[in-house]
Amino acid sequence: MARVELNLNLNRVEGDLEIAVVLEDGVVAEARTVGTLYRGFEQIMLGRAPRDGLVITPRVCGICGTAHLYASVLALEQIWQLPVPPNAVRIRNLCLIAEGIQNDLRQTFLFFTPDFCNPRYRDRPWFDELMARFEPFRGSVYRQTLAQSRQAVEIVAQFGGQWPHSSYMLPGGVTTPPDLRRILACRSVLDDIQRWYEQVIVGAGLDEWLALDNADAYFGWLETPAHADSALGLLSRSARSLGLHAMAAGTPHMLSFGAWCDPQQASGRLLPGGFYDGDSATLSSFDQQLVNEHVRHSWFRPYPGGRHPLNGETVPDFQPNSDRYTWAKAPRYGDKAVQTGPLAELMIGGDALIRSLHAAEGGNAWLRQFARVRRIGYELACARRMLDELSAAIGQPHILNPAKSAEIDGEGFGLIMAARGALGHWLKIKDGAIAQYQIVTPTAWNASPRDSNGLPGHWEQSLVGVAVQDPDDPIEIGHIIRSHDPCLVCTVHMLDSGKRLRFAP
Amino acid sequence: MATLFWLQTGACGGDSLAILSAEAPSLEQLLSDHGVEILWHPSLSHQPMRQHDAIYQRIVSGEQTLDILCVEGSIVTAPRGTGLYDSYRGRAKMEMVRELAQQAGVVVAMGTCAAFGGVHAAAPNPGDCLGLQFDRDRPGGLLPPEWRSRRGLPVVNVSGCPAHPHSMTQTLAGLAAGWPLPLDGLNRPQAFFNTVVHQGCTRNEYHEYDIEELEPGGRACLFFNLGCQGPMTQAVCNSDLWNGVSSKTRAGVPCFGCTSPTFPRDADLFSTPKIGDIPVRLPLGVERARYMAYKNLARAAAPARVRDKEMDV
Repeated sequence: MARVELNLNLNRVEGDLEIAVVLEDGVVAEARTVGTLYRGFEQIMLGRAPRDGLVITPRVCGICGTAHLYASVLALEQIWQLPVPPNAVRIRNLCLIAEGIQNDLRQTFLFFTPDFCNPRYRDRPWFDELMARFEPFRGSVYRQTLAQSRQAVEIVAQFGGQWPHSSYMLPGGVTTPPDLRRILACRSVLDDIQRWYEQVIVGAGLDEWLALDNADAYFGWLETPAHADSALGLLSRSARSLGLHAMAAGTPHMLSFGAWCDPQQASGRLLPGGFYDGDSATLSSFDQQLVNEHVRHSWFRPYPGGRHPLNGETVPDFQPNSDRYTWAKAPRYGDKAVQTGPLAELMIGGDALIRSLHAAEGGNAWLRQFARVRRIGYELACARRMLDELSAAIGQPHILNPAKSAEIDGEGFGLIMAARGALGHWLKIKDGAIAQYQIVTPTAWNASPRDSNGLPGHWEQSLVGVAVQDPDDPIEIGHIIRSHDPCLVCTVHMLDSGKRLRFAP
Repeated sequence: MATLFWLQTGACGGDSLAILSAEAPSLEQLLSDHGVEILWHPSLSHQPMRQHDAIYQRIVSGEQTLDILCVEGSIVTAPRGTGLYDSYRGRAKMEMVRELAQQAGVVVAMGTCAAFGGVHAAAPNPGDCLGLQFDRDRPGGLLPPEWRSRRGLPVVNVSGCPAHPHSMTQTLAGLAAGWPLPLDGLNRPQAFFNTVVHQGCTRNEYHEYDIEELEPGGRACLFFNLGCQGPMTQAVCNSDLWNGVSSKTRAGVPCFGCTSPTFPRDADLFSTPKIGDIPVRLPLGVERARYMAYKNLARAAAPARVRDKEMDV
């Protein structure tokens, strides 16, 4: 048997990435994801004023700082038991959605589809058409994505002043009230993006597209010119012709914290969250007590088993020549490795088409990417609803500042769906300062290393069984890893890449 | 053509994403109209990574001319000066920065992390982070203060967290064209740092009449109580609006001074330390006694519409 060990580098992810795979007869037998950067955000937070998390933690990640801001403010509001006015929730949701649309567009058309422009595919029937649309810096959809994503984040700037890295969500609300000028400026951006999404990306009106509710109907529609010729149609046809719909399921278990807070009911979510048990195909409500992080294979001071984030610790202990291989911890839900992201969000949230496709073909790389593009439809619809509600509620409060006496010591958490999935901040305040801060990012779930029981994380599982045609250009791995929307800076302690090729006897 | 290589060190990627928001010129226009050729960018290059390694080798060996090296992120030197907390192929990234810098026509620090150390260098600085040629506000970082690039320039510090999109693309356009690029005392291009954030803030009328907010969410000035660093921070945020539409202070968020070498300051970021009623740190270059006299007069002169915070911002 030919056994090959590869250390693969990947660019075009948020942060670089190293994946170590073992190939047996050209098929991945084992995979390890390696985070090679340690920055220590959780130590930097200790001893600081509680609100400083609203400035420091968005800087964990350049592509999803709004989500970190949101998680951080929810945690403070939980500890201080603060009411939040509906307009503040609407503005927060609107900004989170704008960042999400930005992410979903850039991830799909700047990071994922460039892999299909590989010369290896030049004889495929779709290649010329694909190059015309998706070729980096030249293709029409690539260039439009640069322009549309640039426009999307203007919505964040309307209420937050800038994107990325602002701190406009504060305990009790947001810093800027809705007014006619801002609402209409946002509407204008949203109208443009929606028109483009309908005409170029999916080839249908938003209502018709979101009403599509089963796999057969979708596959039928994929044969019609309206959708087949759209950007998503082209992506689906090419990805499916390469078999991406039949590989790389990863762990069957999924996690969503629920998308977008309900303005009328602080604890509710507009798209419900929960835990999907892939073994029994059942949904249950999420219990944050079951979250625990392992460091058995990570470069942190060892402790046995897993620890809940409120009891967690992050003490670096760099041991490069051992069986520990990454700066990422291994979060688990109970004893389960889970995946999170748009697929989990829509499966658990109840999108009929995604559930039907998942029932028909199981989890797979194409479906993850497809779910990301479909989610843009939900984002557009929800953003419009937020704007409509805001315009009917101009003049109502946007912040209820807490009394100084409300800023008590305590512990709490903030849970939010970031673009890449479930994001949680857990923190403790003692003597008016931050005494504990632990962040569990979506990529920490997805890219986790093996845990104390040796159970691999989601990406590691998703690569096993994948056939690699050319170890010098392992493009199959690129398709799969990029379908996960990897964000390695997002793991708070991780990142980067390198390649060495080693043939074992 | 001016060749450009972009390297991310201890970074969040925020500068790479911010540059995608530039419009004049945009990143696309830098490539099509300003003679910039990107040899490598970690988020945007579509060639396989072996291409990256080949380009890197050609630059280091002198076969490939490197005109502009952009570094994004803090220089991580832990543990014990090895830099291995941030590695590539088992090699410290800081060593790669050193190698590339020796070949580069000019080195540009994109963002406060690469310029001065930034957020990762905040206490207790777990990664022993530095800037390229500064350690916070002290000259000398990964490279000594006297270091100069092939073109005779110190590291050009385009600071900001993230750097303002136009301060990045316009610096690159100027460098690609070979125009002179006057720098300030912190080696930042003067063109983008010779104004304060306060200038152009829509809350200026409130500041002018000393009408200050005690808590967030209001219309008045954020300087006296809510930690705003706008009057002391040099950046174009209010003269060249972010994303073409606004700025943090316009949106009611205090300026945190993110273009400064000491960002983030080691204090409660949402409050202003004061002596009596007056901030400890005054607007750039202002004398305390005169400022107090001016503020007392200013408040007495405030029209009711400002005193009662009736004016939108």
